[in-house]
Amino acid sequence: MALCTRIFSASKAIEILEAYEGTLDDDYPPENERCEHSEMLLYKVSLLEECGLLEKALEELHKKETKIVDKLAYKEQEVSLLVKLNRLEEAAKLYRALLYMNPDNYRYYEGLQRCAGLYSEKGQYSSDEIQRLDALYQSLQQEYTWSSAAKRIPLDFLQGERFQAAVDNYIRPLLTKGVPSLFSDLSPLYDQPGKADILEKLILELEDSLKKTGCFPGRTVKEPPSTLMWTLFLVAQHYDRRSQYGTALAKIDEAISHTPTVIDLYSVKSRILKHAGDLTAAAALADEARCMDLADRYINSECVKRMLQADQVSLAEKTAVLFTKDGDQHNNLYDMQCMYELASGESYFRQGELGKALKKFLAVEKHYADITEDQFDFHSYCLRKMTLRTYVEMLKFQDRLHSHSYFCKAAAGAIRCYLKLFDSPPKSATEKDEEMSKLLPSQKKKMRQKQRKAEARAKKEAESKNEEISASNVSKSGKRHVKAVDPDPHGEKLLQVEDPLMEATKYLKLLQKHSPDSLETHFLSFEVNMRKQKILLAFQAVKNLMRLDAENPLSHRCLIRFFNKVSSMPAPVSDAERLVWSVLEAERPAISQLHQKSLTDANISFLREHENSLMHRVAVAEMLYLLEPNKKSEAVKLIEDSPNNMVSIKGAPPVQLWKLEDCIAVHEVLENVLIDKEAASRWKARCAECFPYSRYFEGIRSSVVSKAYLNNLIDNSENGASNHPELNNSIALNGKLETFKDLKI
Amino acid sequence: MKQVAISLDAVREKNLMQLKKLNVVLFPVRYNDKYYADALASGEFTKLAYYSDICVGAIACRLEKKDPGAVRVYIMTLGVLAPYRGLGIGTELLNHVLEQCSKQSISEIYLHVQTNNDDAINFYKKFGFEVTETIQNYYTNITPPDCYVVSKHLEAQPRK
Repeated sequence: MALCTRIFSASKAIEILEAYEGTLDDDYPPENERCEHSEMLLYKVSLLEECGLLEKALEELHKKETKIVDKLAYKEQEVSLLVKLNRLEEAAKLYRALLYMNPDNYRYYEGLQRCAGLYSEKGQYSSDEIQRLDALYQSLQQEYTWSSAAKRIPLDFLQGERFQAAVDNYIRPLLTKGVPSLFSDLSPLYDQPGKADILEKLILELEDSLKKTGCFPGRTVKEPPSTLMWTLFLVAQHYDRRSQYGTALAKIDEAISHTPTVIDLYSVKSRILKHAGDLTAAAALADEARCMDLADRYINSECVKRMLQADQVSLAEKTAVLFTKDGDQHNNLYDMQCMYELASGESYFRQGELGKALKKFLAVEKHYADITEDQFDFHSYCLRKMTLRTYVEMLKFQDRLHSHSYFCKAAAGAIRCYLKLFDSPPKSATEKDEEMSKLLPSQKKKMRQKQRKAEARAKKEAESKNEEISASNVSKSGKRHVKAVDPDPHGEKLLQVEDPLMEATKYLKLLQKHSPDSLETHFLSFEVNMRKQKILLAFQAVKNLMRLDAENPLSHRCLIRFFNKVSSMPAPVSDAERLVWSVLEAERPAISQLHQKSLTDANISFLREHENSLMHRVAVAEMLYLLEPNKKSEAVKLIEDSPNNMVSIKGAPPVQLWKLEDCIAVHEVLENVLIDKEAASRWKARCAECFPYSRYFEGIRSSVVSKAYLNNLIDNSENGASNHPELNNSIALNGKLETFKDLKI
Repeated sequence: MKQVAISLDAVREKNLMQLKKLNVVLFPVRYNDKYYADALASGEFTKLAYYSDICVGAIACRLEKKDPGAVRVYIMTLGVLAPYRGLGIGTELLNHVLEQCSKQSISEIYLHVQTNNDDAINFYKKFGFEVTETIQNYYTNITPPDCYVVSKHLEAQPRK
């Protein structure tokens, strides 16, 4: 009852709880109900906190201390109240007590900083504050010598030389110990200006010193041989982050030839190849890594992920089912709700198989629907077990469920499929019949025979599969489970949907409700509503885009396209149309970009503001072509003249600004939108030089050109997963073979 | 140098690839499926060596029947990655196998060594192995093609 009331008013809920408590004896609760009672008390305190009755909450907390069993939650609740009441000294003491219990909890450190007035959301501090923070953490490090958080947090706020010294101290013991996650730990530092260069200098120094003397710079203690390998590993990941893929690959190859049995090396190499644009090689390498430990589920999942990215869907599924229970493997994978369908759906979409893609995206959507329904199981359970605080949190989670990124991606994928279906509808059944009638009678007969055979085969397969499933189920449980055989395994029926846009709108509504701050949502809304001719809804989408990020090339495109379409529409005739028109007239001056300007001018001023950015120039070029189709060559020139300012650091090869995925998008624009085949091939050649590993641009070092046998290997490995070519390993015969055993002939 | 943990682990189907990777780097010969089958079947006599949780070496043996009714051990391969030599890993691998031999009352253990491999011969001598035979043209693709048979006889463990 308290929970229901809580939905309406927290204070009412408190009243009810107090009334309930009033009915209890003093020596309540009995031994076996202490947990539940304690939970209820903590819940009451959290309600009081929510109402803002902080003093009362604290008082209540202290009064009931003996009855509250969850000591940690007690302390955390207390400290949260103290901070809100601004009793910072007491709170600081309590945080230190909490730190003593767990010196690696980042929230306690954050709390301590807040109490000392030294906390900043964005991590920006004045140099005076940095001094004080530094002193604070030095003392904390002394106190908790085994805590890694105390050593890592200062790296975020320290600058310059102090930063260099601190990070040096931090990295060295971790390299000696051999911590594979060191780079991921340091990764956020790369976003802070200047730190990436300091890190580069530092780790190259470490590498150099280890190679020359076997010790860290300035020390005489010899490091174990693995340290060099871990250092090379770190260096490779560093160059990968800075997009210098050639160097990164060279370093990781060095590490692999040093110690070829470390699986992490192959995983990272696969990741580098993926960033560089060679997805097939990345997948092959991920498979090699997987084979080195067939009992490791994580590496199996990573391998499946890479295969899906490389569009090797059937191979990916075969690899994934290695870790499902025997029996109906396909359904088991679905039951695990691991959302692999998302990657699988995206892969089908890339390959143009819309039916299968839709099936996968809708499967993800069904998962979320299932999760929403599952909550009903918890209602009675939580009430019985009195886990009230957790229950309330779960309810809040369910409210936000559909804003989860997997769902958003799936919904976006489904909408895109429907958009494509609308733009180029598949051949309907009647059309197919017409085609058939044009054939000669003998050909017709052959085709019909083929069809009948295919259908019979499919039916037989389905039947035998069904028997298999039911047989295995019988042997296992003795009962007869009849698992629903999927009537539409390839999503053909989904393709035949009458009104794809209506289906798309279903998902769009969910997206708009739960992810209103995502550019993607509004972009998709724009696309759908433009096709549905819902002018005002499309306009709403445009306004949202402008609100979120007016400088984004995507927003610019939508803006121009919208007003271009509007201006080319016939004059309003019906009342409804006139209404729409007047709304637009009223709103147009509010958009600053179009203030007093024509669309062409707006386009040009957007260009001037973003002259150096490739993607912005492309958007402008597209719009130019849209507004003035005769200026196609000018548009093309706009793209080709984009500067690719190379930033070069001393001693290192120059780093280019262009990103691979952007360049691929530009190539598609040149081919499909501006329809200039020559410009497209010029662009391709240019990009092949910039991205030598990219398969899309057929760069010289990609597996398309140099390792053509890779393709054969992948094609042939349909029947198994244990093809592991000795790909990129330099089989280095280590110098002196001290122990050389016999040879099998 | 700091003391780093060295540990031994059995070879299974699931980690067989580690052994294969080692062999590719350590020996200029591709071992066939029978080698790996024998290694898996030899139980405690085949081990991977881990240095600070990195697999850096292995010993792989084959159990052979000797008439009448006795068993002897044949060491097929023993090797450690180059950067990790000289740390006692090879010793630990061989000691483990010798221990197993005495536990299971196996009296003979032997292997083949290429005639020019002085380091290997000296290594085994430290453990009490002796050169007992020479075979001409044992190897087909490398020079010198001759090998020594290096073996050790073990005293039976007195039953307590």
